[in-house]
Amino acid sequence: MSTSRDAILTRLRDNRPDPKAHPLPPVARLGDMDNGQARFENSLQILGGQVLERQEGDTLATAIARRFPDSKIICSAVPDFDGTIRIEELGTPQQAASVDVLVVRSPFGIAEMGSIYLSEAQLKDLNSAAHLTQHIVVILSAKNLTANMHTAYMDRPEFHTANYGVLMSGPSATADIQGVLIRGAQGVRTLSIWWED
Amino acid sequence: MKVKPVNHAKAAEEFIEDTAHMDFHDERLWDLRQKRDEQMHILPEWQELRARASAIKEHTLANLPEYLEQFEANAKKNGIHVHWAADGAEHNRIVGEILEKHGARSLIKSKSMVTEECCMREYLEPRGVVVTETDLGERIQQLDNQMPSHIVVPAVHKLIPDVAKIFAEHYHTDPNDKSAQSLAWQQRLAARPVILSADAGMTGGNFVVAETGSFVVCTNEGNADLSATVPGLHIATIGIERLVPRMADMGVFIRMLSRSALGSPITQYTTHFRGPQKGSEMHVVLVDNGRSHRLGMEDFWTSLKCIRCGACMNTCPVYRRSGGLSYGAVYSGPIGAIIDPTFNERKYSTLPFASTMNGSCTNVCPVKINIHEQLYKWRRVLAEHHELPFVKREVMHMAGKLMGQPTLYRAAINSTEVALSTMPRFVLYNWLNPWGKHRELPHPVKQTFHSWYKQNRLKTKKKEGESA
Amino acid sequence: MQRAEEARALPGVRMKIGLFIPCYIDAFYPNAGIATLELLEKLGQDVEYPMNQTCCGQPMANSGCNKDAAAAEALFVKNFAKYDAIVMPSGSCTHHVRDNFDAIDQTDEVRHVRENTFELVEFLHDVLKVEDFPWAEFPHKVGLHNSCGTLRALRTASMSELGEPFFSKPMDLLNKVRGISFATPKRPDECCGFGGTFSVTEEAVSAKMGTDKVRDHHQAGAEYIVSADTSCMMHQQGCAERAGVPIRFIHIAEILNGARE
Repeated sequence: MSTSRDAILTRLRDNRPDPKAHPLPPVARLGDMDNGQARFENSLQILGGQVLERQEGDTLATAIARRFPDSKIICSAVPDFDGTIRIEELGTPQQAASVDVLVVRSPFGIAEMGSIYLSEAQLKDLNSAAHLTQHIVVILSAKNLTANMHTAYMDRPEFHTANYGVLMSGPSATADIQGVLIRGAQGVRTLSIWWED
Repeated sequence: MKVKPVNHAKAAEEFIEDTAHMDFHDERLWDLRQKRDEQMHILPEWQELRARASAIKEHTLANLPEYLEQFEANAKKNGIHVHWAADGAEHNRIVGEILEKHGARSLIKSKSMVTEECCMREYLEPRGVVVTETDLGERIQQLDNQMPSHIVVPAVHKLIPDVAKIFAEHYHTDPNDKSAQSLAWQQRLAARPVILSADAGMTGGNFVVAETGSFVVCTNEGNADLSATVPGLHIATIGIERLVPRMADMGVFIRMLSRSALGSPITQYTTHFRGPQKGSEMHVVLVDNGRSHRLGMEDFWTSLKCIRCGACMNTCPVYRRSGGLSYGAVYSGPIGAIIDPTFNERKYSTLPFASTMNGSCTNVCPVKINIHEQLYKWRRVLAEHHELPFVKREVMHMAGKLMGQPTLYRAAINSTEVALSTMPRFVLYNWLNPWGKHRELPHPVKQTFHSWYKQNRLKTKKKEGESA
Repeated sequence: MQRAEEARALPGVRMKIGLFIPCYIDAFYPNAGIATLELLEKLGQDVEYPMNQTCCGQPMANSGCNKDAAAAEALFVKNFAKYDAIVMPSGSCTHHVRDNFDAIDQTDEVRHVRENTFELVEFLHDVLKVEDFPWAEFPHKVGLHNSCGTLRALRTASMSELGEPFFSKPMDLLNKVRGISFATPKRPDECCGFGGTFSVTEEAVSAKMGTDKVRDHHQAGAEYIVSADTSCMMHQQGCAERAGVPIRFIHIAEILNGARE
């Protein structure tokens, strides 16, 4: 079929160092194994994420209304919250650009990084929604925290099954102009965690 | 046509003359190095991570054909179209054909050093494809018609007024804007419509996982995710050395990549692409472009371990004071100086000499590439291949001869006259004049150590011998 | 031939030491050479300076012209093969002999020379294990400059990039000097930009690095920059004088030998 493919593979076989001299180390589970909520929140804060404030009597809807008072289109990707529009109603990836706040549930978070995971399963096959929305609110359970990147990659099945899986660690950010850190560059401007249970 | 070697020294001199830019550049990158150190101190397992990352990468490179085949088989199972490009030209042709098939006229892309290697924009644009960089720094560089000066922070050599001027020209914004915040907002406003109307998106790939047929892309702006998820066509251009065997290996690399690069624990976005999203098409172009050749270079193949974090650039005192553009190559800084000569020995023959070989680069490298030792070895290779400037070659040849002859050497030290007659005048002046440009010469002394020893030790010893 | 490692196991043994004085010390900083010699003598060693010495071959080898280093390397071996230890007040020359000295055939003699060549600080610290310099007093604030050769090749001090526990052989020695105190620059182990021929071929970057280095030490309050490497100091002194940075330079051997200024 592809001649370049065969030529490249042949050249690699001819040129490579002795495979026997370079064994593969066994998989490692290193580092701090604390998977607590406090560690997650501390990491989240370092990367510019926040915890959505929960006042007495708050529901997710009231907390969002207080945090994002000017938002008009609140899109829900979860069954237990309505918003103003359901994610399934957005017809094309581009239509997600009209969303002010996206509400989505993450299957797990990583305490070391304050990262949350989202795949097409949570985004109902509209992956662009996680990036075109202005703000994202992520529902997360403290029971679903894994300690660090090693435990995440070793224990979470999603990395082997999802076609699209993103670890978001706070909002979109850049420091490309004279080193000034700006949160909310091209993707979401804020990322908030709503703790459930 | 004879290729001229890059004149790093001259470009660096010009960079240094602009004090405001130079000082900021040095401080900004030094700050990244400091932040990297802070992250290292947080993790007691840092050195173990480095050792593992290095071992995983060396293993993968030694078994690269098998892992590439494994990746290809799994990726195809997942619905990804896999292409192989022997060089930049073939890569560009493949991408051009995919775009043509889809009738795509506008391509949004996130940062990829491989497409820079292939000069892809220069190929696509005359063929009617508008290519828009979505990474802010890369976009600034594209608008300014410059190469990225750093592999992680492409516009790090620019200050706010430079960006304001460029944006004013292209986005018709305030040329005197002094706020980075507002300039970044302008970029967001300008980029959105382009992203929403793009026909195709392109990303690079930081890691490729053989076991799952996936690739992983790390960005802070989320622009790779926008490029991949908004248009219905996603093309990823990836160097063949980017493989890791298992998904479980990713922990080692993700824990070090951004910590080494920017001193942040992780990039804001770490995205795992394993197959096309619903209603979309996904292509991966695996690019060789000299890598399979480099794998056979005994002293230099480990440079293929590089994960493009830029830590070696941030720590390099020469890079910080000369700027990435002074290297005249896609890859700048210490890692560039050992990779670039594999692309063109003559053109980049000066780069291994743009270093004091201080070794800081090797120490910060998360995959333990012995960068400064490779710089040393490149110098030898280049000398053997006659790629050193004439004057340097002559000086070294004559110095080498002189150093083997103690009597002549002593005479040369004791009298400049002799030095001048031993070495041709132009050689000596070519060599000594630059020292005094920004520095004083050492002060003359009454007596060399040699003559002092003769007077104070040899004579005494002789006398002691006589009296005994 | 008695090897330095054997001598190390027997403290108090008087070794026959060959003293190597690099070309720039010979020509421009003889006091550093004299201090090295006198210090080793005070410590009871039998020191000789072979009169036919020239160079270790480093400048040629570092420029890539390894073959051109052969004559210098051969002469070096001829001059020094007969000693138990070869000591030199220069980290980069030691690094060359120990790690890169391969322009000539690796005979037993060559191996002996390479294995028994020491930079002065490591020789005092690791081989002689000197406990005291009773004659030394230096009531000044100094900034210590470790050359990249001593730091990252000979490993005479901890390196900031690795996060290893702090250690510093030169500082251990200097701490035995009465009255001395240390200034801490912001970038203690950043290269000063000498780099051998780099100082000439990349003069603008080299001079900028040197000027930044001396300013860093000066701003930290150092009266003197002290180093085990004269080549770095020759470069830094040139930069300081041109930029008008009021700071003085002294080789570590001079302080340990009891220099007072």
